[in-house]
Amino acid sequence: MKVILVDDEQKFINMLEKRLAMRQIQADVAFTGDEAIEKVRNTPYDVAVLDIKMPGISGLQLKKELRALNPNLKIIFVTGHGAGLESGEDPAENDIYLSKPLDIDILIAKLNQVAN
Amino acid sequence: MNDAINFMNIEGLKFFGRVNASISHELKNILAIISETTGFLNDLTELAKQGKDLKLSLIESCSKSIAEEIQRGFTTIKQMNSFAHNVDVPIKETNLGDLLDLTVKLSKFLSFASTVHTPAPDQKMKPVLTCPFLLQNLIYQVLCFAYESVGPEGKVDICFNSKDDNGIHLLFSLPVTMETKDFPTEKIQKSADVLGIAITVKNSEFILWIPFSSDKITQMASLL
Repeated sequence: MKVILVDDEQKFINMLEKRLAMRQIQADVAFTGDEAIEKVRNTPYDVAVLDIKMPGISGLQLKKELRALNPNLKIIFVTGHGAGLESGEDPAENDIYLSKPLDIDILIAKLNQVAN
Repeated sequence: MNDAINFMNIEGLKFFGRVNASISHELKNILAIISETTGFLNDLTELAKQGKDLKLSLIESCSKSIAEEIQRGFTTIKQMNSFAHNVDVPIKETNLGDLLDLTVKLSKFLSFASTVHTPAPDQKMKPVLTCPFLLQNLIYQVLCFAYESVGPEGKVDICFNSKDDNGIHLLFSLPVTMETKDFPTEKIQKSADVLGIAITVKNSEFILWIPFSSDKITQMASLL
């Protein structure tokens, strides 16, 4: 499974990448929307884990741009919002929303779910 | 005046909610980093239990990161506390430098915030008699407009001009090429009117003239 993690909180995303690597899930990281677009253009990822709120572009907008490059890319949104987009699926889009702080086991379960 | 007070109540609540939402988002990000870092420390501990070497440098860097995030959290909570106490006294003598400093810091929690250069707070600056909460709301709205105009990669310069005998000019400078024709918005203009503040636009500069005292403020103080 090829995963890309996108969030402007660099410490958060770096730590998540290390913890996933310990569980044999290799992930690339991107700290901006532009960086994510560039990486998705060059690598056939299976899943993108996107922060909802990022400088310059929202996770929802970024999803559209990434899907234009890779229509099969599965999306998991991670949000720091207090309400409205808490954990659970968006039935309209089948995307998954997880709330910060993350539970690594839930994230991995969701990664496996969408990748399969 | 009643219309003005109704407007202030509605806009004030919206502003309070917006700032609190952005602060809660910031705190969640901080907790998310601490949570991931402690999770990583647990992972390392489990590996050590299985006989793997434990790298002290990794533990040191985790500990440093957690300490930094706790400090970031304290700073955020301090700002949140200062913001919350702005409504304690509805009208009071206010140092504009301090108010601007806090408002800019709060606005930086917005995901679309640009780079802002502000003057250092000056305790010798003559205070203005105003409603600090509503003035903060006005400045916050102007900052949001500026951020949306210049984008997250852009820059907004803010400075004071206090040569006027009757008030202080607060200048927001955007890059010269920016379109400023939509400024001020109706809501910004109304927020300024309530406080007796005049707005002018000069090239790519937004200028707020904030009186040291005004009839509107005195009248409002007698009603609150």
